[in-house]
Amino acid sequence: METRRSPYGRHAVDVLGSVPADSPPPTYYGRPALKPTEWRWLITTYLFVGGLAGAAQVIAGVVDLLGYRRDRSLVSAGRYVALGGALVSPLLLIADLKTPTRWYNMLRVIRPTSPMSIGSWTLLAFGSSSGLAAAAQLAADAFGLDRARRLARWFGVPAAVSGGVLATYTGSLLSATSTPFWAVAYRWLPALFGTSGTATATALLSLVLDRLPVARGSRRRLERLALVASCLELALTAGMDLRLRRERVRAPLDEPRPGAAYRFGALGLGVLAPLVVHGLQALTGRDLRMMSRLASLGALAGGYTQRAVLVTAGKNSASRPQDYFRIAG
Amino acid sequence: MSESELTAGVRIEPGRKYGFFTDTTLCIGCKACEVACKEWNLLPADNIGLTGNSYDNTGALSATTWRHVRFVEHVEGATVMQPFQSNWLMMSDVCKHCDRAGCLEACPTGALFRTEFGTVVVQQDICNGCGYCVPACPFGVVELDLDDGKAHKCTLCYDRLKGGFEPACAKACPTNSIQFGPLEDLHDRARRRVESLHAAGVDSAYVYGDSAADGGLGTTGGVGDLRAFFLLTDRPEVYNLPAAPSLPSTRMMPGLVRGLAAMAGIALATAALFMRRSA
Repeated sequence: METRRSPYGRHAVDVLGSVPADSPPPTYYGRPALKPTEWRWLITTYLFVGGLAGAAQVIAGVVDLLGYRRDRSLVSAGRYVALGGALVSPLLLIADLKTPTRWYNMLRVIRPTSPMSIGSWTLLAFGSSSGLAAAAQLAADAFGLDRARRLARWFGVPAAVSGGVLATYTGSLLSATSTPFWAVAYRWLPALFGTSGTATATALLSLVLDRLPVARGSRRRLERLALVASCLELALTAGMDLRLRRERVRAPLDEPRPGAAYRFGALGLGVLAPLVVHGLQALTGRDLRMMSRLASLGALAGGYTQRAVLVTAGKNSASRPQDYFRIAG
Repeated sequence: MSESELTAGVRIEPGRKYGFFTDTTLCIGCKACEVACKEWNLLPADNIGLTGNSYDNTGALSATTWRHVRFVEHVEGATVMQPFQSNWLMMSDVCKHCDRAGCLEACPTGALFRTEFGTVVVQQDICNGCGYCVPACPFGVVELDLDDGKAHKCTLCYDRLKGGFEPACAKACPTNSIQFGPLEDLHDRARRRVESLHAAGVDSAYVYGDSAADGGLGTTGGVGDLRAFFLLTDRPEVYNLPAAPSLPSTRMMPGLVRGLAAMAGIALATAALFMRRSA
């Protein structure tokens, strides 16, 4: 068993003989040494919605820049979905504030050491550029104005860039705390949230395009992207899991309920189901419409479950002093 | 002459760093600090019950408890009787007012700020209760009060310092276990105290939270010197303190860079998949 030797109290241990220096760190009646976050389901939902909207804007932006007429309905759908997320996200965040009437203090300072501050400004940039892009897109779609389409394309660039930050910074938001479970995973969480955001965005967009016969090709390309995102997400999940095990702070996921939600919800529904279905489609070259619809619904449910489980695991982890002392020893 | 010169022999001047030196070998567990803090800061009682954890019925620092006395009974397994306190460890815990404060770095509104006395304070007229300082603190100190929707913690009696008064807890401490003063004076005092304890046979004494003390043994990871630091006689964990706390904000950039790289990869994959002639 690996234990790190504390630089303190070598003498203390010899003299008191209470706790051998090589044994795991003692705790104070097992009382928490940290305080867990007070975040409610509103923040969990924001982690999901923000990631989805940001990734949708990235997809729409890139596809629009390629400029193919055949993917126009996908670009429109991406822009509207992103705008929806950009409108809902600040409401969720403000509703979770314990003094919501002072929400505007979030824009009082720029604090580069705080992911919360970076996130507030990113959300402002994302919201305004997404609004402009969606407005131009609407003008193009409703009146067929080519000038508006070009404008949407250019507003889409800052929207996509801020969307990329929005989809990933939430991982840093969790990791830049003292909560052991999140802190240990700091290299993995932002990338994991980015790929999971992409998986959920592709799922929602392919469900939207499902109703449009003209967008069949777009949907199939989107499902290939979903396959790529799911593969990346699986690899990142495995990497993060290994790290959590190695640092021995994974205990919150070993408890029955979060553990089951994580395995069957986040991994089974959210990653493996789309991976298998879209993988089968890619291999056989067939369009398995029903399966693919179910896989998309699974990806959305799994993406939300993943955020919920990781937030809960962090809260539980903050109340486990033995885990904290192990990583801060 | 200000009052603190009479009660603590300290002149309080803006621009200097002040703090607490809490010498746990002098603590008798009377909790006068807890009471004085609550009285001065008008904090309500929060737990009227028994925890079963020795005489510690306060439990933890919280939004309404800014001093907290811990009790550790080292009876079982002890092979040598300490020359003081009969193997009882008592320690009055408080916000550390870190050199590099995780809470302050996390605060998105600027409500948490560094005062002219080098302490860290939550401005109650700015805090909007986002609560991000709470999981950021490496010592589990700051907490949200759900009744008023703001974050609260020890202010090192900012109002009293401004008026030239010694902080309430230090003034109330009957054994001088809690000492208030300019940080450099307190560091000197703590080192001398450790030397004299070592000379008296208490080999286990060391300073927690002073990066220069004891050949660097007192370094507290990435958070630097603690403005409120401690003289301890057992492993930090015994007092519910982390041996090597780290600065939360250092975990932001490495992850964010990898995350943005992943998104760049997604963008490239999107471009590649949608450029193909058919699929």
